[in-house]
Amino acid sequence: MSSVELLQIWIIAFFTLALFSFLYKDNPVYKLAEHIFAGLSAGYYVGLVWDTVIITQLWDPMLAGDYWLVVPGIMGALMFTRFSPRFSWVSRVSLAFVMGVTSGIFLVSQLHGLVLPQMQSTMQSLGTDNGIGAMFLAIVVVIGVISTLIYFYYSKEHKGVLGVTARIGIWFIMVSFGAHFGYTVMGRVSLLIGRVQFLAEDWLGSFSHIF
Amino acid sequence: MSFWKTIEDIDRRWVYLMVGLAVIIPFIFPTEFPISITPETQMLYDAVEAVPDSSTVMVVFDYYPSTIAECQPMSVAALHHFFRKDCKVITLSNIPLGGPSMAETVTRRIAPLYDKEYGVDFVNLGYKYGYVAVLSGMGTSIESIFPTDNSGTPISKLPLMDSVRNYDQIAFIFEVADNATADYWVSIVNAQYGVPMCCGTTAVGAPKYYSFVQAGQFVGLLGGMKGAAEYEILLSKPANAVLGMGAQSLVHLLIIAMVILGNVGFFASRRNKRKVTP
Repeated sequence: MSSVELLQIWIIAFFTLALFSFLYKDNPVYKLAEHIFAGLSAGYYVGLVWDTVIITQLWDPMLAGDYWLVVPGIMGALMFTRFSPRFSWVSRVSLAFVMGVTSGIFLVSQLHGLVLPQMQSTMQSLGTDNGIGAMFLAIVVVIGVISTLIYFYYSKEHKGVLGVTARIGIWFIMVSFGAHFGYTVMGRVSLLIGRVQFLAEDWLGSFSHIF
Repeated sequence: MSFWKTIEDIDRRWVYLMVGLAVIIPFIFPTEFPISITPETQMLYDAVEAVPDSSTVMVVFDYYPSTIAECQPMSVAALHHFFRKDCKVITLSNIPLGGPSMAETVTRRIAPLYDKEYGVDFVNLGYKYGYVAVLSGMGTSIESIFPTDNSGTPISKLPLMDSVRNYDQIAFIFEVADNATADYWVSIVNAQYGVPMCCGTTAVGAPKYYSFVQAGQFVGLLGGMKGAAEYEILLSKPANAVLGMGAQSLVHLLIIAMVILGNVGFFASRRNKRKVTP
């Protein structure tokens, strides 16, 4: 293990333990780690965008002869006019372009790629072709989708049949929340396990290289 | 002070300590809990098995370093699986913070185990800003989006990329994500270009993607560390995820015990209050 790798492991371990120290109580070491993380992330992101967008996708191709890229370049630069109250309106040109393109792309992709396939998958056969179990699950899906949609239908007071269906919808939503919560617990515990794995294997393992 | 009152007023730091110990102890005294294979993981495994040997696939590292514990075992297992099948692997990332370097580190660690050579058997395209444009653009030409690989080498100089122009030459996409980029792979790449794909995601994101499996948009799903552990078992390569599941199971048992204890305590103290103030 090289000295650079050792230093890297110790820096990671220090910041892991510094952030865990918040579990006891707020303290200056935690604050230091938090601020360094925020600053580093912002700095890294700016550097990355500068390199991968401004240099690689704009500057270098323009120097290579793609002069039309000056148009998106100028439109990007116009965004900075937002810092001037007098000229901030100019940035709306770029914003309008971004909104138009984004809407166009997302309208098609979301409808074609998400909404329609998801709707199609709820329209299942309620017959027993695939067995009793599949039929039962298909019925659960149909009831779940309809009752949940009705719960979010606010144009009519939830009374009578509408009220009963909406209450069934609440049960489906609650079951969904329960599943989400269970998975969230697993996810958060996994993060802790990951850190403990690092501390136990890499950090404690590095002691043998030092001492 | 009654037992239930003590439980009710317990300092939450004791709970943190118990959770911490429940995670640490299985690493000192390895504990094994049974890991059953869910249908979604089995579907994913079968789908990857069905990919023709020696075909070109994509493994996408769309996760931040913060979720390494859950996502990295999935990527590692996927690379083992594809390299074992002699597939050509293209890696890329839509995550600026750590994605490209994790792809580089993990792939270069596993490739030598299968005598795979960079540029011939695997390529890391790295990161490019603007995932919507990136995912759409690769449908026309991968080279127009990634003129160079992660190290700055023109992809025209990489033999693997000679035969790969766009998604038409990609047999399968293995997306590992801890965020909503998986939605865009589905809505842009799967829906518009018809490339079969599966997803490995964090436990937090998994419930959302079950409906994608049901709709056939993902051919399989790995949900969190449990999904990763299942995949490792199916591959007969138990590693970090299987190791972590001991701690995971122990913490879950602890949390279940605390939830039961908390509820019993709540109802017991409410009954006591009713007795005192009729």
